Amino acid sequence: MKSLRVQWIIAIFCLGLAGVIAEHSWTKVRVSIPEMGKKQIEPSLGQGVLLGILGGFRAVVADGAWIRSYVLWERRDRAGCEALMRTACMLDPRARYFWENTGYVIGYDMAHWEIRKRGGYAKVSAEIQDDLFKKYGQQGIRVMEEGIKYTGGNVGILISAGQMSELKLKDFSLAASYYKRASESKNAPWFVHFMCARALWENGQTKEAYAWYRDVWQKRLSNEEDHAADDLERLRFMEDELKLSLIQRIPRQPWEKKY
Amino acid sequence: MLDFMKASLLRISWMTRLTFLEAIRQRFFAFLILLSAALVLSSVSFRFLDFGNGELKFVCDFGFGGMFLFGSVLAVVMSAQLFYAEMDNRTALTLLAKPVSRTEFLVGKFIGVWFVLGLFIVTLSTLLGIILWARCQELTVAAVELGKAPPDFSVAGLFSHTGMQWARLGVVAAMILMVASLARTFLFTVIAGSMLVVAGQLQWLAQETLLKPGELNFFSKLLLTVSTYIIPNLQQFNIGDALTLDHGSVADGAVTLALFSGTCYIVVFLFIGSLIFRQREI
Repeated sequence: MKSLRVQWIIAIFCLGLAGVIAEHSWTKVRVSIPEMGKKQIEPSLGQGVLLGILGGFRAVVADGAWIRSYVLWERRDRAGCEALMRTACMLDPRARYFWENTGYVIGYDMAHWEIRKRGGYAKVSAEIQDDLFKKYGQQGIRVMEEGIKYTGGNVGILISAGQMSELKLKDFSLAASYYKRASESKNAPWFVHFMCARALWENGQTKEAYAWYRDVWQKRLSNEEDHAADDLERLRFMEDELKLSLIQRIPRQPWEKKY
Repeated sequence: MLDFMKASLLRISWMTRLTFLEAIRQRFFAFLILLSAALVLSSVSFRFLDFGNGELKFVCDFGFGGMFLFGSVLAVVMSAQLFYAEMDNRTALTLLAKPVSRTEFLVGKFIGVWFVLGLFIVTLSTLLGIILWARCQELTVAAVELGKAPPDFSVAGLFSHTGMQWARLGVVAAMILMVASLARTFLFTVIAGSMLVVAGQLQWLAQETLLKPGELNFFSKLLLTVSTYIIPNLQQFNIGDALTLDHGSVADGAVTLALFSGTCYIVVFLFIGSLIFRQREI
């Protein structure tokens, strides 16, 4: 009897020990699993995502949630659509597509749904409409910010956030900051440098815009195969607008066409 | 002592062989392996449903989902069924009347079931590996034509994930045998076992909550702490995506530690199961 009691004590001790080892193992494994906390799961429960949380099928369930969200998008069900889209984002947080499109739907579509719900564009005053566009635009950008964090600074989401800042918030400074981050990334598309310079220019920071664009062109773009001739052409336009003297301008390039 | 251990191992190997053969002959096993294989094979046909990911990730997710779902069902039902078959047919009495101890009986049952689960996982992983390899070749050609970076997948990563899943199913089978050694009916074992599997898959939520204990009262904290040590964290074995498609993102030693943790749980659950089973009246 005494021996059995000792064996039970050893068993319970070993179970605790196994728990400690599992805890250590989890801290190592955790970084490889797409992050999803209790708070993110709570609004999604009851929407068929349990299987995705349990183990496999995460991407499949995320796709299913996304398809279902489109049904609600067609019905213009704001709360339901957002919940399902966010569910898709949380189930598969490393996918650019979900974050970018959730941001688009919230930032570009939902303000229009609310205006129509309040009686239409004729009934709702311009100020209120403007407030609504800004409110939803900010929400859309917040979603994209989350996406940027989860995807490790995806260039596509950065550019989309910049565009939304320009179009919906009319905040060119914020837009420029997003474009700048996109421009600094390894796989920056060719057009993003100009977008950044243009946003700064529109914001009234004309000298800063020129200085930044010129720096990017001289350090990076001029080394490309085509020497980024289009970018230089835009820089020449800026030089003219800023009325820079010959010595302040970028020296004329041997391959440059006459401007 | 050495002779005793040799004899004991021989008896365990007999039990293992008997259990393995009995399990392999079951229609349930054949049905589940066919169903899972069909799911893995059909993953390529469902790729049009994919939105946010690369095609290989979608195929992987489909395959790993099948392994997780059907593997869990197989581990729960088959472990309980093989245990209770011996009880209901009274063959356990005959076996235990011979110089076979109850611990040997339980360990033999476990290893037999575990081998069958290994066969299941290896079959599915091989199928998945072939599909991934074939699609990877096609996608590479297409990517080269478009001047894009070709997709890649790691065979070693898939192999590691197979090992992790086998360990996970081993933990589940050992847990079910522990419950079975206590429970009186097959149905109770299957239901309680399934709930334990779900709890194990969601155990990480308790750990996450414990990391931010501010909103918890003493009893909730105590309950969560105890549950995190008693219930195994089965989510630690689900890093198939990272291992197969993004091998660099897995921390050094993570797989070894997870396998060690799984082995510890298997040993502990079998130990507890044998303690309970030794006191049980058959």
